[in-house]
Amino acid sequence: MVFARRNAVYMLLVALLVLFLSPFGWLAITALKDASELRVMPIHWWPHHPNLDNFRQALTTFDYLGYARNSLTIAGIYAVLVTLASAWAGFGFARLTAPGKRVIFAVLLSTMMLPQVITLIPTYLMFAELHLLNTYMPWVLWGLSGAPFLIFLFRQFFSNMPKELEEAAIVDGCGTFRIFLRIFLPQSWPVIATSLILSFSWSWGDYIGPALLLDDAHTTLTVKLANGYVNAQGMPMSNLVAAGAVMYVIPVLVLFLIMQRGFVSGIATSGLK
Amino acid sequence: MSTGQLTGDTARAVPSPSPGAAARPARRRLSLSKRRAWAFYAFTGPWVLGFLGLTAYPLLYALWLSFTNSDGLSRRTSFVGLANYKEVFSDPDTMASLGRTALFTGITVPLSIVAGLMLAVLVNQPIRSRGLFRTLLYLPAVVPPVGAALTFKLIFDRDSGAANGVLDVLNINGVPWLIDPYARWVLITLTMWGVGNIMIISLAGLQDIPKELLEAARVDGASSWQSFTRITLPLLSPVIFFQVVTGIIGALQSFAPLLIALDPTPAGVTSVPESNYFYMINVFAQYFANGRYGYASAMLWVLFAFIVVITFLVFKVSKGAVFYTVEAEPAKDKPRTMGDA
Repeated sequence: MVFARRNAVYMLLVALLVLFLSPFGWLAITALKDASELRVMPIHWWPHHPNLDNFRQALTTFDYLGYARNSLTIAGIYAVLVTLASAWAGFGFARLTAPGKRVIFAVLLSTMMLPQVITLIPTYLMFAELHLLNTYMPWVLWGLSGAPFLIFLFRQFFSNMPKELEEAAIVDGCGTFRIFLRIFLPQSWPVIATSLILSFSWSWGDYIGPALLLDDAHTTLTVKLANGYVNAQGMPMSNLVAAGAVMYVIPVLVLFLIMQRGFVSGIATSGLK
Repeated sequence: MSTGQLTGDTARAVPSPSPGAAARPARRRLSLSKRRAWAFYAFTGPWVLGFLGLTAYPLLYALWLSFTNSDGLSRRTSFVGLANYKEVFSDPDTMASLGRTALFTGITVPLSIVAGLMLAVLVNQPIRSRGLFRTLLYLPAVVPPVGAALTFKLIFDRDSGAANGVLDVLNINGVPWLIDPYARWVLITLTMWGVGNIMIISLAGLQDIPKELLEAARVDGASSWQSFTRITLPLLSPVIFFQVVTGIIGALQSFAPLLIALDPTPAGVTSVPESNYFYMINVFAQYFANGRYGYASAMLWVLFAFIVVITFLVFKVSKGAVFYTVEAEPAKDKPRTMGDA
C-alpha cells in the first residue's frame, strides 16, 4: 500500500519535472539550430547540424558583454547598497525604540503592499528634472534607502536574537553602532546572503526601470535582449534570441543552485513564512 | 526574553538601599533611552528619507499630474480637474483592459495558489531525493521575466515552436499561439511556470505544522484527506491568505504581455494581442505612444484605488476563514543553522 503510494508520488514528480524543465530544453535546442532549420516541417526535435556559431553571433550582433557589464554594475551596486541599508534599518526596527516607531513601522509595512507602478511616471519626470537620466544614480538612491521587504526580513531575524548579546555589549561600553556592526551583522549572514541574491536578481531581471531611465548606451542586457536580435526585415532571429537567452539565464540558474541552501535557510531563519 | 531582563533588574536594584545610589541608575537609564531613541532615528532615517523622496513625493506628484493635461514636455501644463478620471471611467477601451486584467487575476491567482500548494504537499512526501525535486521545480521561478517570456515565445512560435511540433505529431493542426484567441493561454501557462515561488512558501508553512497534531489525528482514525482539510489547511490559512493578497496586487499590475511583445515602442504596445491588452499595457500606450502623462497618471491612481478596494474586500471576506495561532513572542529556539533544504 505505502509502497504503491510512494511510487505514484515519485512518478507524478518525474512527470512534473519533465513538464517544468522542458522549456529549458527547447531553449537549448533552438540555440543550437541553424537558421534554415527553424522553418522546416515537420519540426526538427534535434538540430541536424548542431551549431555553436549562434553563440558567437549572439555575442557580436550587439555589444553583448558591454550590456552585461552594465547589468552587472547596476545589479551589483544596488544589491550591496540595499542589503547594507536594509540591515541598518532592520536593526533599528528590531532592537531600538523611540516615539513614532509604531507609525513608521506601519508605513513600512504598507509600502510593501503599495503597487510599484503608481510612481512610474513621476519617478521618470523627477529623475529627468534632477538630470539623473542615463546615470546609475537612481539605483544608488534606491539602494541607500533600503527595500521594505528586505528591511522586514532583517527585522524578523534581528528580533529573534537573544537580548543577552546586546546587554553584555552595553555593559562592556559598546555603542549602538558597534553593537550592530560587531555583534548583529556578523551573525546575520544567512539573511545577508538571501538579501543579496534577491536584490541582485530583481535588478538583474528588471525591465521597466532601465527601459525608462537609461538610453541605449547605458541600458542593461535585459532590455537589449528584448529587442536586439532582429534581421533587416525587423523579424526576430529566433536561434540568436535563444543563444542570447541561454547565456543570460544560465548564470542566474547556476548562481541560484550554488546559493540555494543559504537562500532557503535565510528565508526560514528570519521566520518569514 | 523578558524574564531574563527582569531578574537582571531586580538583582541590580536589591543591594542599593541608599536614595542617592537608587537615583543614579534611573537617570542613567533615562539618558540611555534617549540615546537609544536618537539611535532609532539614525538607523531608520535613511529609509524614511528614501520613502519621502522616492515614494511619497512621486506618489503625490502622480496625483497632481492626474488632474492636469501634462505631456511631460511642454511647459503649458494646465489643470483639468476631474476630466482625466471621467475619461478613465467612460473610455470603453480602458474599462475593457481593466476587465481583462481582473479576469487574468481571477484565473491565475487561485490556480497558482492551488497548484503551488499541491506541489508543496507533493515535495513534502517522504521520498528519496525530494530536495532535488524541490530545487528543480523551483528553478523556473528564478528565470528573469524577460528570459521566461523569450523562452515561451520560442516554444509557441507558429512555425518553429515545440507546441505546434507536438500537435503535429498528434496529427492536429497547429495554431498561431501568439495572437488571439490563443495568446491568453500562452500567458497563463507562462504565469503558471513560475509557481515554484508559491510552492516554496507553502512548503515552509507545511513544515511549520506540528507533527504531533497530525499523528494524533491519525491515531484517532482520521484519513489523510480529513487531516489535510481539518488540520493542515486551517493552520496554513495565514500563509494562503498572504499569497492571495500579494498575488492579487501583483497580477493586477502585470505587464507580462508587454514582455512577450518585447518592444516598448508604440509599435510594440500595439502588437500586444487584444486578449492580453491589459490595463498596464494601456497605461504604457497612453504614456509612450500618446505622451498623455496626465491621463496615464489618472489611470494608475484608479488602478491603485481598485487594488485598495479589492484588498480590503479580501480582508473582509477572509475574516473567520483565516486561522491565526496565538504567538506572543517569536519562537526563540528556532534553528539558526542551515535547515533541510
